Amino acid sequence: MFDTVLIANRGEIALRILRACHGLGLKTVVAHSEADSEASYVAQADQALCIGPSAPGQSYLNQSAILFAAELSGAQAIHPGYGFLSENAGFAARVEQAGLVFIGPSAACIRTMGDKVSAKRAMRKAGVPCVPGPDEPLPDDPAAVQAIAREIGYPVIVKAAGGGGGRGMRVVQGEAALLDAMALTREEARQAFGNPEVYIEKFLLHPRHVEIQVLADSHGNAIWLGSRDCSLQRRHQKVIEEAPAPGIDEALMAEVGERCAAACRQIGYCGVGTFEFLYEKGAFYFIEMNTRLQVEHPVTEMTAGIDIVQQQLRMARGERLALVQHEVRCQGHAIECRINAENPDTFAPSPGRITGWQVPGGFGVRVDSHANAGYRVPPYYDSMIAKLIVHGSTRTDALDRMRLALAEMRIDGIATNVPLHRELLRDEGFAAGGVDIHHLERWLQQRSAA
Amino acid sequence: MKQEQIKTLIDALAASDLAELEYSEDGSTLRLVKQSALAAVPAAARRPAAAARKAPTAESAQQAPPPAAAAECLAPLYGVVHLQSAPGEPPFVQPGQAVEAGQMLCVIEAMKMFNEVRADAAATVQAVLVRSGQEVEAGEPLFRFG
Repeated sequence: MFDTVLIANRGEIALRILRACHGLGLKTVVAHSEADSEASYVAQADQALCIGPSAPGQSYLNQSAILFAAELSGAQAIHPGYGFLSENAGFAARVEQAGLVFIGPSAACIRTMGDKVSAKRAMRKAGVPCVPGPDEPLPDDPAAVQAIAREIGYPVIVKAAGGGGGRGMRVVQGEAALLDAMALTREEARQAFGNPEVYIEKFLLHPRHVEIQVLADSHGNAIWLGSRDCSLQRRHQKVIEEAPAPGIDEALMAEVGERCAAACRQIGYCGVGTFEFLYEKGAFYFIEMNTRLQVEHPVTEMTAGIDIVQQQLRMARGERLALVQHEVRCQGHAIECRINAENPDTFAPSPGRITGWQVPGGFGVRVDSHANAGYRVPPYYDSMIAKLIVHGSTRTDALDRMRLALAEMRIDGIATNVPLHRELLRDEGFAAGGVDIHHLERWLQQRSAA
Repeated sequence: MKQEQIKTLIDALAASDLAELEYSEDGSTLRLVKQSALAAVPAAARRPAAAARKAPTAESAQQAPPPAAAAECLAPLYGVVHLQSAPGEPPFVQPGQAVEAGQMLCVIEAMKMFNEVRADAAATVQAVLVRSGQEVEAGEPLFRFG
């Protein structure tokens, strides 16, 4: 089995994976772009290889360069992190063909879940509750499409089978707009995802975003590690996440969690994954599965007391799950704030040199970041520079701890969204818990109107 | 403070590349700010290149002379500059071209976002000071107007 892992990602998640590898006694190879050569985590790896220029297309998305780096360095496994190539079935297949281990599920699983229509079909088959609407692509016949929409009931949402993460969808309020919306979404999908297939679902008005973390081995075992609520979003980007999702009946949560674990067993899923749901009026509706490690995994780690990345590596090495479902105990409450290099009012990106870096600490406080004083945030990648995570005995305790931690945090030289987080932690709606996915956008609108 | 002394300080500031100068003596303080530094406050992305040679008196700052003919467009943020909308497309502007206020000059890409840089006022592009795809610092000159 592998003893050297090539990390095909950057920033905080590259460091997170590196730590998990070293914790298991595995050697690490960091494949990095020119822009990241000076980053401190690169120096912490056992080996570092520059795989190309700063632009992601020429480095972190360059499959051949990454495979060549693995061959050169002698790494037998590749960890794709999140983003970049992490949900690219073609890349997973190439890694397997090269005789290496792709740290994630099989290419077939990624392909099934990557197509939203086939994912929905697989979930229905496994008894996972889905949004009302057929698990078939829309037909071409206009009358048939109208009949389907009428049966679901307006408003409906037209979605691209190849979309996901908030891309490639359009809400339709009534029959008059249906056919145009379908044609438009189809054309956009053809261009953006190379797949013109679209489908329709009931459009929920005030849902929350609730997700289930799963962990599965390659021997047919799967467990779920609790829920997360990621309803605070701006333009489909999560801003604050927490575990567990507050105010949801535990028995219902356990039933949905168990169905997710069962679905993993049924499709032969291996590794870590997340089932994303909309939650409205006491019911869950599956929207998509992320077949990779997620940004917000630490909130689950804090409540479940399980190192998810180490577990992911163990599963990829072919180990059996060391615990069964009833041994998973989620305790207390955890919250994560994504710290981005951006203007807290305009959201304009703010790359550049960090001149001062004071991060909070103490009991129940965790900061996952690759940055430090003197680090220059490159303009080529995502704006997230840190994740601030707190754990408390209760949600109120965690909220208080997060307020203190944010007050302590100071980043100089660039603009960050720390002031925005401070304001959000004072918002009554968020403090009460259970806001819907439009809450943050509404809050921002009110703020700009004031 | 004697008038003569003040005159000397004005000349000293004018001859230097300092933006402002503060001088205190016997409880009184004199603060001189160059025209160019004042102009840079409301429109951070624009600076009159010739202003440094102007007499930096408080009076001239108030009398707001007509904007300098020669000016530069500065990068509003650190990022990667794109001089055309896509590879193979013609550039947004070329040397010698007259541009109108609000016309697109270039795009600066930072963290997956494209920030449009537009002309503050009507002018003629004298020189393009950067290459497409190049990293630019915030405040780095991008275009010179004639």
